[in-house]
Amino acid sequence: MTATAEGLATHSAARPSLRRKGIDTTFSLLAPSLILVLLGLMVPLLLMLRYSFNRWAPGDLMTSAFTLENYVRFFSDAFYLNVLFRTLWMSLVSTIACLVLGLPAAYYLSRLKTRWLKTALILAIVIPLLMGNAVRAVGWIVLLADKGLINEVLIYLGVLANPVRILYTGNAVAIGLIAVLLPFMIISLQAVFDGVSESYEEAALSLGARPFTMFRRVLLPLIMPGIFSGCLLCFVLAMNAYATPVLIGGPSFHMMAPKVYEQALKVFNWPFAASMAFVLMAVTLALTVTASLALQRRYGKV
Amino acid sequence: MTALAASLSRWRRGSTVKIAAYFTFFIVLAPLLAVIWVSFFENKIIGFPPTGYTLKWFVNAWNFERFHRGFTLSVQVGLIATAASLLIGVPAALVLARKKFAGHEIVHSLLMSPLIVPGIVAGAAIFMFFIEVEIFLNDQMHVELPLTGSLFGLCLAHTLLALPWTVRLVTASLIGMDRRIEEAAMSLGATPWRAFWRVTLPVIRPGIVAGALFSFVISFVDLEKSIFLVGPGRTTLPIEMVNYLEWNIDPTIAAVATMQTLLIAAALIISDRFFNLTRAF
Repeated sequence: MTATAEGLATHSAARPSLRRKGIDTTFSLLAPSLILVLLGLMVPLLLMLRYSFNRWAPGDLMTSAFTLENYVRFFSDAFYLNVLFRTLWMSLVSTIACLVLGLPAAYYLSRLKTRWLKTALILAIVIPLLMGNAVRAVGWIVLLADKGLINEVLIYLGVLANPVRILYTGNAVAIGLIAVLLPFMIISLQAVFDGVSESYEEAALSLGARPFTMFRRVLLPLIMPGIFSGCLLCFVLAMNAYATPVLIGGPSFHMMAPKVYEQALKVFNWPFAASMAFVLMAVTLALTVTASLALQRRYGKV
Repeated sequence: MTALAASLSRWRRGSTVKIAAYFTFFIVLAPLLAVIWVSFFENKIIGFPPTGYTLKWFVNAWNFERFHRGFTLSVQVGLIATAASLLIGVPAALVLARKKFAGHEIVHSLLMSPLIVPGIVAGAAIFMFFIEVEIFLNDQMHVELPLTGSLFGLCLAHTLLALPWTVRLVTASLIGMDRRIEEAAMSLGATPWRAFWRVTLPVIRPGIVAGALFSFVISFVDLEKSIFLVGPGRTTLPIEMVNYLEWNIDPTIAAVATMQTLLIAAALIISDRFFNLTRAF
């Protein structure tokens, strides 16, 4: 008993110095990871922002300047504007497709009672998500090539007489993007479905709503936050997609991220690569912020 | 009520929702299933149906020097990045989960930023930064320190990739932990360090294991950052695969992809035993 009291006394006496020590430990525990992120990512990004105002000097990397000509070049060149619009279009289409395909899957998953099946299906979504784009690309080439599985099956069934070109077209990229992004959408949606009690559905149905009406009038408003965050995630990831357009879109299908890579590493035009990277980030950010504001106005804070 | 429950379960398990759900699962899984199937084909030129099945492509892939080296490097980089991200990420998670301080929000966003900055943009920025540092060291200090194409540079970038996952998963398990058991240990005379080592660490082990496995997986499959940082003779497996794909598509590459799939599936199935995987996202 005395020992405890004594211990408490020492404890409170030590408090002021402990608080000071607390700040020191806080800092020293955070410092290594903060230094890594600041030096390994933030400084390079700031440096690249600065480079985007430099002038390209072929053969000598670049000359220091403070010009907007790289940005002007991007926005006045029909080719690059086209690349930007194609990227936006692909992102929009694949996000909508992910939403449409993801809704039933997430709902089914969320209401599934069989535990092992639920675990298996979640793994079946998460494993492809983390499989890496190289493996996925091999799969899509096998499936979509002129002599790929899909064409062969369709010809065998007599649906097609000659193979259709799917691989190395925009359609292949759309299919690839949808499959890459679906897991993110399903996981976002499943989280909100889990939070909506089944009694809402039962109430609506017992009051005579048909399933589809119940879905539209009861479930949909309740899961709006999940729909929004899922779409946002898919859209941002699609905007920045690199591997899918390069590997299954082929050399003549251009999207933003592959162009940034090309300018930075192949052409070595760093100022232009840098300005394209920032155009890509700025456009993505502007659109997502606008969308959140518009949705907030319509649905309240989500 | 029974009629209602029946009607509800009919709509739920009802053909439309179920078929749509499985169609979606199939789209997600299709490329993977195709890869695994083709890797057993006997014919060297992929065609359907196969003439027979064989395991020889796995042997072939394993003996193919570029894949073998790429695999070794990827494992090496993955392990180093995982260890480094645990070493710096667990202390950071400890602070983030438990202390309130000015700038908490900023620190958290900073540590999560490698997830938010697009891979290609971050890769390009790190690449330019590394080259600038190389030039600076060479001109000013006459030191030759290769960063691009070096193991060090690759590991640094991969630690950056892994860090947010480690922090997120470890923080999640720390928040779920009852702090009183730690206080009990200290009131019984354990030093803070001993209390951390003997009490906190075992409790948050699931988060740490899942964080480590996730970090490894994220590092192993990365393409966007590595593509800027690999060098001649030092190329990770995914990039070796991409390079190979430029020229040919055959069962050998499918076998490599299948092996990577199995490795990563194993890592994820193990981490699912420790940690609810959907909570990681």
